[in-house]
Amino acid sequence: MTAMPARGSLRLRLLAGTLFGVAALIVVAGWGLDNLFREHVARQFRAELATHLDQLTAHLVVDEGGRPKLSAALSDPRFSRPDSGLYWQIDPADETGAGGALRSRSLWDDVLGVPADVAADGTVHEHRLDGPGGIPLCALERRVHFEDTPDSPGGHFRLIVAADERLMAEPVARFRGALWIALGLLSAGLGLAALIQVIVGLAPLRQLRIALARVHEGSAQRLEGEFPAEVMPLIDDFNSVLARNAEVVERARTQAGNLAHALKTPLSVLANASAGREDELAALVRAQVAAAQRHVQSHLARAKAAAAASLPGARTALRPVVDGLLRTMHRLHAARSLDLVAGPIGDSLVFRGEEQDLQEMLGNLLDNACKWARSRVEISAGIDSGAGGTSLLITIDDDGCGIPASQRDAVLRRGVRADERIPGSGLGLSIADDLAQLYGGRLLLGDSPLGGLRARLRLPAASPAGALGGS
Amino acid sequence: MRVLVVEDDGVLRGQLVSTLEAAGYAVDSADNGIDAQHLGTTGSYDAVLLDLGLPRLDGLSVLRNWRAVGRTMPVLILTARDSWHEKVAGIDAGADDYLAKPFHVEELLARLRALIRRAGGHASAELVCGPLCLDTRNGRASVAGQVLALTSHEYRVLAYLMHHQGEVVSRSDLVEHIYAQDFDRDSNTIEVFIARLRKKLPPGLIETIRGLGYRLGAPR
Repeated sequence: MTAMPARGSLRLRLLAGTLFGVAALIVVAGWGLDNLFREHVARQFRAELATHLDQLTAHLVVDEGGRPKLSAALSDPRFSRPDSGLYWQIDPADETGAGGALRSRSLWDDVLGVPADVAADGTVHEHRLDGPGGIPLCALERRVHFEDTPDSPGGHFRLIVAADERLMAEPVARFRGALWIALGLLSAGLGLAALIQVIVGLAPLRQLRIALARVHEGSAQRLEGEFPAEVMPLIDDFNSVLARNAEVVERARTQAGNLAHALKTPLSVLANASAGREDELAALVRAQVAAAQRHVQSHLARAKAAAAASLPGARTALRPVVDGLLRTMHRLHAARSLDLVAGPIGDSLVFRGEEQDLQEMLGNLLDNACKWARSRVEISAGIDSGAGGTSLLITIDDDGCGIPASQRDAVLRRGVRADERIPGSGLGLSIADDLAQLYGGRLLLGDSPLGGLRARLRLPAASPAGALGGS
Repeated sequence: MRVLVVEDDGVLRGQLVSTLEAAGYAVDSADNGIDAQHLGTTGSYDAVLLDLGLPRLDGLSVLRNWRAVGRTMPVLILTARDSWHEKVAGIDAGADDYLAKPFHVEELLARLRALIRRAGGHASAELVCGPLCLDTRNGRASVAGQVLALTSHEYRVLAYLMHHQGEVVSRSDLVEHIYAQDFDRDSNTIEVFIARLRKKLPPGLIETIRGLGYRLGAPR
């Protein structure tokens, strides 16, 4: 199985999308709120100034000399505190231009320099002025006109109320600080929520990956577990593909077996008919029957194995297979009273593959060992954790005559028999080797400490049941 | 020695029957699982050759049913299904040996002899009783090296007695084990065979146990 390059991470995509959206919305909301508040503060500020201006207008009287005068002091005490930031001033609106005729105590010695524009009587103007010490002021101006009366000459006056702009900026700055802290906390919270959502939302995918790993690793035959409605159809499809696969393998097996049966009975008839006759035809029939038998057997073994090796999820505990085979060997070789000894084989030794294939490999090796052994056959097994993953290492020793090193390669080839003295097809070792290679394993022949042949079978191991998290 | 052959292929069954008869066995045969189960359950056989792929009832089920009702005769499975998976299943079902098709007739006969011998507790292919020696490999009986000329029925009686040395063998046991099922059985003929054997054997080897049967044993 080759891994395809991943096209981005679903988790990253979801997370990036959510965080980008949250950030954009937070910025827009912050900017909007900030503006709204600033405008609100400015409006209130101006309304306050207008109130002061109204009060100033109400209190303004003109004395007999035509000079403006206040009938009462303005109510806000800041007008009488020097440099308080809140000021008023009344200028005569004639060409003399002498400003600052009447002004609040807060202005002290300063005079507000009002631009000399002309506005209609009664309207209110807004100005930006430089106040005492050059600080920027926001000022409202109203022009009023007193009619001449018997008591006073009347006249035009400019009434100005001004306030330090910092009085307005300060609450805005305070609000802005609080606003951005709140929005910062909000976006952090939303980001965290998005992260949790992505992790929780995508958890079934991780579960799916674990389930798939179990199938691949051989500890499950199908994808197990409950999945969300969005994923479930996929799981069901996948499971039906797996089931169909298993069914096809099983059918191939059955057909292979049927073919064997169908061919072997006529072969037996031919072999029996030729038995005990010495003519040329009988010899030809015997030779061809033997050849046909070898072909049938080797192709059957390969067909079965090819079908089996591609089936995912198969796992077979070693111990029961060895036990069954030893029972069988005892019976089949009962006449020879061999010692068949199995070393300790733990339950943790599990072959990643089909039971029938394991039986075929070990059966052929054990049978071969029993045929040649003088008195003793030993089988032992262990785990070998090499660079290429964990593998099972099964060793079968006999005390027979062994196979010379020069012939070991030859006996692994199809149908080559090192010795014709004992009946057999000459396929046993090569079938075991073929099967092992289909599973990515190997069969190695060597010298046994018992004096005969040592066959070492290396096969892929599966982790013992339940070792891989979950149910 | 009486043997049951269960094989659904007619030609092969005919070959097996004639081969076994030529080797001195009394042979019954069946071509399906139901008949085989009936014969094996009711008849006394010294060995059974059993095919696995049978019509009506498969061979493994037949074998399991025999073992379930206590039939202990040795069974040699003779089948095309020769994977180790199937061999283990066969042995676990109660088979004593397993031979894959196609097979050599000599190997089949050798395994059958070995099965029958082991069932009687004999380790060697040559059965010996005093001066009498029976070589099961070639079906030859000899006394002190002199080969005896025996008819096939005489041989079957002698072979059965040799396999059950020291035991009392009833006349009906002998009838059961030397005749095929469809043979016209007459227990009186047993006395004739015994009388003929006694003439050919040293005196005192075959003892008559009145009312029970015969016993073969070395004279004391």
